[in-house]
Amino acid sequence: MILISLSRILKFATQDFIRNFWISVVTVTILILSLFSINFLIVVGVISQAAIETVEQKIDLSLYLSPTASEEDISVLKKELESLDQVEEIKYVSKTQALESFQQKHKDNSELQEALREIGENPLNPSLVVQAKDLADYDVIITSLDRFSKHTIIEGRNFDNHKILLESMDKITTKTRQTGIFVSLIFVAITLLVVFNAIRIAIYTHKKEIRIMKLVGASDWFIRSPFLVEGVIYALIGVICIIALFYPFIHLLQPYLSTFFNATDLNLIDYFNSNFILIFGSQFLIAGLINIIASLWAMRNHLKV
Amino acid sequence: MIIFENVSKHYPPSTKALDGFSLEVKPGEFVSIVGQSGTGKTTMVKLLTGEEKATKGRIAIGDWDITRIKQREVPYLRRQIGVIFQDFKLLPQKTLFENVAFAMEVCGHPPSEISSKVPQVLKLVGLEKKTHRYPREISGGEQQRVVIARSLIHHPKILLADEPTGNLDSINAADIINLLEKINKFGTTVILVTHNKEIVNSLRRRVVTIDGGRVISDQKIGKYIL
Repeated sequence: MILISLSRILKFATQDFIRNFWISVVTVTILILSLFSINFLIVVGVISQAAIETVEQKIDLSLYLSPTASEEDISVLKKELESLDQVEEIKYVSKTQALESFQQKHKDNSELQEALREIGENPLNPSLVVQAKDLADYDVIITSLDRFSKHTIIEGRNFDNHKILLESMDKITTKTRQTGIFVSLIFVAITLLVVFNAIRIAIYTHKKEIRIMKLVGASDWFIRSPFLVEGVIYALIGVICIIALFYPFIHLLQPYLSTFFNATDLNLIDYFNSNFILIFGSQFLIAGLINIIASLWAMRNHLKV
Repeated sequence: MIIFENVSKHYPPSTKALDGFSLEVKPGEFVSIVGQSGTGKTTMVKLLTGEEKATKGRIAIGDWDITRIKQREVPYLRRQIGVIFQDFKLLPQKTLFENVAFAMEVCGHPPSEISSKVPQVLKLVGLEKKTHRYPREISGGEQQRVVIARSLIHHPKILLADEPTGNLDSINAADIINLLEKINKFGTTVILVTHNKEIVNSLRRRVVTIDGGRVISDQKIGKYIL
């Protein structure tokens, strides 16, 4: 009995989907457009996050150490710094490495090369290049420096030059994230409403049929179930179509992003591949759920016969 | 079989569709309910199909008191009464076969039973060659015959026909009435709600006249008196 009912519900749902072809096409199209917007929003989110990370990675804190500092003191200071939670990575640049890097950087500047030769000895200090986990962490690291036993070997730091830039960047990134979330929420809400109404209109066109089914003696659930299954079919077809449409779209977008972000390994296709189930699975679940809720809501009044 | 006992149906603010309506229909009877528009005929039909609930009084079908019928019991009531409507009420996206089959499917009949019974009942109403057509592809008279086939599929003890000839020409109307008489001969109680004078007079059966929401005349072999 249950199997017969289930097979009939499935049969009615697919029959209705096919026989009301244009209503199905319009509803699925609205769903596809909405899902495209949502996925586009995800792309914008991924790109802006990558942009922020790219800038963040380019900022570091260089601690210039006394030329007379012993390797042992430097090692102690490095370990003390590494003990901070806020520190992501520390790189030690010795006097020799600093000089090689300087010479390499200014190899075309003959005046500088000449000046170095005249000095006769390596004038550069060894340094520790500190990368923090987050922009806001640099302040914590700097204020912690005085507490370290070997802080006296630090002669200078480059960070003050970045401080103003960093502060404004921090504000911008926070604002960008907040605005992104806010805009996304509004956008998602609009999308949900559009889908909700599309389903309601689709159900409204069946108003007369629902009434007839009731008068013939069908129970409310026997009438409702095919519409709910149809809602899930809409969601399934919508998500399949969006996968088929969105991958070519990001394929087209990828070369421009690679050029723009240069060396950064921002790969949208990889991102969507590795989060495939999460992104499209949740879209199917949410779209299916919205369709079911909208169908139930829309049928409420029509079932009162 | 059917009892209306002092039934009233009021709609706010002050419309009295039925007012102290009493009627008893015996098993196997063919009763014509006549009356002008707005006298309460359709309200009476709606009370019998559970579309409306009486404000006062008692309605019973056999031993079943349906006056205060629960919403979840309504589908079971409707499966036991065959109803024929003026506007046919066929499902437009289903073929004639599927329309009749739907009435069985809602009750959970197995597919084998459906595929053997539906063609039989469609043959009974003369539509065996059009089973796979859609309602829009056949005439009004044929649509009404499909509705009759659908209402007969459960072998109902009561057949309720609410203005079944209202949208038909005289030839098709006569066909439908003949079909109803045939069904009545097999023992089904038929209640025909109409304001077609010619049909009522030609039937020479019991005629109940309603006016102002109550019975004003009940003749065993009656005529249209309004």
